[in-house]
Amino acid sequence: MFRIAIKGILGRKARLILTSLAVILGTSFLAGTSVFSDTLNRTFDNLFSDVFKNVDSYVRSTQVIEGNFGQEERQRIPLELVDLVKKVPGVSDAVPDVQAFARIIGKDGKPLGSDGQGPPTFGSVAMKFKGALWTISQGEWPMGPKDVALDEASAKNGKYVVGDTVKVVAQSGSREFTLVGIASYGDVRSPGGATFALFDPTTASEFLAKPGLFDDILVSGDGSKSDVELAKAINAAIPAKYKTETLTGAQITAETQDQIGSALSFFGILLKTFSFIALGVGCFVIYNVFSISAAQRQRENALLRAIGASRKQITRTMLIESIAVGLIGSIIGLVAGIGLSAGLSALLRAVNIDIPNGGLVVSQNTVVSTIIIGLIVTVLSAILPARRAGKVPPLAAMRATALEIAAPGRKRLITGFASIILGIAVVGFVMSGASNSYLGIGILLVFIGTIVLGPIIARPVALFLGRPAARFRGITGVMARQNSARNPKRTSRTASPVLIGVALVTAVTALAASIKGQIDDVFTAQFKGDYAISTDARGFGGLSPTLAIDLNKLPQVEKATGFGFLTVKIDGKGQYLTTVTPETVDGVWDIGLINATYADLKTSNIFLSEKTAKRKNISVGAVVQTTFADGVTRPLTVSGIYVNNEIGDYVANSHLVDGTPVVMFDVGVYIKTKAGADKAETVAALTAAVKKYGQGDLLTKQEYINKQSGQVNQLLGLIYGLLMLSVIISIVGIIITLLLSVFERQRELGLLRAVGMTRSQVRTTVRWESVITSLLGAVLGIILGIGLGWVIVFALKDQGLTSFKLPVGPTIVIMVMSFIVGLFAAIYPAWRATRVNILDALNTN
Amino acid sequence: MTPQTSTIAASAISATKVYGSGEDAVYALRDVSVDFYEGQFTAIMGPSGSGKSTLMHCIAGLDELSSGSAIIDGTDLSTMKDKELTELRREKIGFVFQSFNLVPTLTANENIRLPLMLGNNKGDEAWIQKVIGTVHLQDRLTHRPSELSGGQQQRVAVARALASQPRIIFADEPTGNLDSITGAEILTFMRKAVDDLGQTIVMVTHDPVAAAYADRIIFLADGHVVNEMTEPTAARVLDLMKSLGN
Repeated sequence: MFRIAIKGILGRKARLILTSLAVILGTSFLAGTSVFSDTLNRTFDNLFSDVFKNVDSYVRSTQVIEGNFGQEERQRIPLELVDLVKKVPGVSDAVPDVQAFARIIGKDGKPLGSDGQGPPTFGSVAMKFKGALWTISQGEWPMGPKDVALDEASAKNGKYVVGDTVKVVAQSGSREFTLVGIASYGDVRSPGGATFALFDPTTASEFLAKPGLFDDILVSGDGSKSDVELAKAINAAIPAKYKTETLTGAQITAETQDQIGSALSFFGILLKTFSFIALGVGCFVIYNVFSISAAQRQRENALLRAIGASRKQITRTMLIESIAVGLIGSIIGLVAGIGLSAGLSALLRAVNIDIPNGGLVVSQNTVVSTIIIGLIVTVLSAILPARRAGKVPPLAAMRATALEIAAPGRKRLITGFASIILGIAVVGFVMSGASNSYLGIGILLVFIGTIVLGPIIARPVALFLGRPAARFRGITGVMARQNSARNPKRTSRTASPVLIGVALVTAVTALAASIKGQIDDVFTAQFKGDYAISTDARGFGGLSPTLAIDLNKLPQVEKATGFGFLTVKIDGKGQYLTTVTPETVDGVWDIGLINATYADLKTSNIFLSEKTAKRKNISVGAVVQTTFADGVTRPLTVSGIYVNNEIGDYVANSHLVDGTPVVMFDVGVYIKTKAGADKAETVAALTAAVKKYGQGDLLTKQEYINKQSGQVNQLLGLIYGLLMLSVIISIVGIIITLLLSVFERQRELGLLRAVGMTRSQVRTTVRWESVITSLLGAVLGIILGIGLGWVIVFALKDQGLTSFKLPVGPTIVIMVMSFIVGLFAAIYPAWRATRVNILDALNTN
Repeated sequence: MTPQTSTIAASAISATKVYGSGEDAVYALRDVSVDFYEGQFTAIMGPSGSGKSTLMHCIAGLDELSSGSAIIDGTDLSTMKDKELTELRREKIGFVFQSFNLVPTLTANENIRLPLMLGNNKGDEAWIQKVIGTVHLQDRLTHRPSELSGGQQQRVAVARALASQPRIIFADEPTGNLDSITGAEILTFMRKAVDDLGQTIVMVTHDPVAAAYADRIIFLADGHVVNEMTEPTAARVLDLMKSLGN
């Protein structure tokens, strides 16, 4: 039987290629994402071991505040430590280092680097030193208060050459420098797409941080001590009051690699999740192809049975075939995946996120897991069709045509409905108070039920969806409609991947629409001003606090107020603290204070959101111990509770940090103009004030609100992008099924051509069949997706999401897209159908 | 009957069909010239490999001649593009094949009207009803092919061939898959179509009994026309076939 299996595989290369295609796609996404994240990981590992190659010791503060998203804010250390360290025996040189927010303004007045979620924009120190992170590739090291050096990529993007004047914005304001040198980091033009403005230590400290303060000290030894001994010696030499620690070069390298690694691992998990979804969708395609090929081989299998092959042998033959297909498909998929990740890297390079060359990392793990997963998925998908093939009665050899028996089984009906009802019941329990963690099970049950019922639903729904085609496309439409309904099992299996993809897309879209709607409502109600200046640099850098002060001096402005964010430690946990300026915020932004006014917020006070107050079970008068980035813990008395926690859970007075080393930026400035102020003049005045800083966008109230809800679009875009993998597989699934159907209907096509069907009519028939199948998946997917979205929105009601919004527009777009997908998938099969040789088709028996 | 005075519905002029080239060349048809007259039931007979099916396929626009011409209704098929040929088959030719004549997803009624519908043509309703009546299919119209017997399926095929009132109908072993009683029934219908409805039929067969329903028989062997017989009977056909060494 093994030989029969092999002969069977080789005898039908087309079928082999089609079956493998589904496996190839699924595994290539898996391998591609895996290779890509490994490569990214190693790239950064190498980069940082390169960067700290000549750093023997690394001195920094032990005082650190970790925020709730893994970011940390470490206290700074004073300059005098550098001299202290230099005196330690075994130290050959030590330099202070700063890494802080700085934005380079391009020649066109626009800041360089990407906004928001993109790579950060840094200011740092560059000076001649054995362990220096930077090397100067052109020009000279920055030496004086007017000198700046830029990383190569930024210089190129900003079209700056040595000698140019460069404007840089930092926490202390904006300033113009002379470009004296171009620097490179390790062997890349700029690390990970970040931009760097580099200064001598004094300037860096004064301009980027606070005068006399640095982030860390880089030390290089004279070789008389081992790194560990050197670090110990330095540590011993620094008095305890400075609260510092000394790491070896190896330790800081490992730590940085770890940090990057965990940041990347989130990305890796995201990629992996969606490639597994894609692989799951691929299972349907593989299963479908095996089922169809089993049906097409019914006579052949029946003949084998008639001449004495056992059921088991028939089944085994098909399983052997599936192993071959799985193995070949996975291997090709692996190779394709490596190519895919090379493409992704090239794409990143094209958008200027420079990854050091080092080749792709194809780990043994990737190779083994890709092939094993591919093989398992293929064989599992083939088991049912193989068993069904074994059940073929020998008499089927005498039957004229191979047709799948598609009686809508009572068992199927019961299983499907039971699964859906159970799923809905589980969701119902969650709605009425059970834990959200059961939601997944409920949703899964509904999905499974729908897919089980698929073959039963497929025929009536396909006939319904095909009505317009039959109505308006004449006999070709009639035939397309009948063809899409003639084999409901096959149609529903083809539509299932579309269903899953569309359901996920719809659910995500519905969720996004609900979030956007909520943002609209909230900001419209809370923001009482007319203009806002916004920046995307949330959490890292932002607008200078002096901007709001400048704006308040304008004659057209009634009030301008800035919101800042600080990372602080409250009760030992990292938190965001929102800072407001009480004298200007009143009347511009309403946070919904309960029995309190902004005037109650003195520098020794804190406001809590109602939710937080309830959770902590404290109220007005309580004292909250808050540790700031300067390492000082300040007792703040709760003087007010507010309802609208969209701006954060803790609010403090911005003057609290005046005169302290704590660095604070405003993330937004909100402006209320004077009644009767001329609109054009106001805009001109505001624009001029903003332009002075080279940072931040002036937006009208509506623009600002749109921008807030627009942020959801970025996330939406990413998820859509990842779901594309599944969509591609569904399209390929439709193509494969159509092709197999076309092969199967050769005689019918030959007959139709003989009695006068033109090639373009043949194409129309295949095209509409494809569209109907695709729409079948889309319609069911949209129904499920809307339900899923509604359930998710409900589950998120604790997170403040209150109203579900039906994404009407996007739903229509999805339908139109599915229509186009149908048309697109039909192109090749339709062309193949027109190539059917009439005589050969008529003569085949 | 004096065929020479009748109108020619279709003809082959020096029709030659070669497969392969050089020494490997296989001749399916060698210089065959034959006319088919309107209102006549012509049978083409010959042993397997004699070229009878090839001749029919080439005249019917399903296959191309290597040289010579096939003419239907005055038009040389070799000058026509695929689309024109398709339209010609749809409008001027009717087909009845040995098996797999019907589209399984369409009802008997839709199958009968298929060529008309493909051409967006309503057809002559009175004529279609008459055809359906002639083949006794009135109460089977809503059935799909899988619900019809073999004989009924062939009757639908005959009705389809007749429905568009083509210039000529080609039938390729129409009774080859039927038992003799059902076969006789189909042949009677075809005979009636010629006698009562004035149709032109060309039928390829190797069955002397079937051929005896025709007005005229053309005998082919090795790609040549070797004989011709008018007003045949089964016995005469058998005798002739014996004399041709079959």
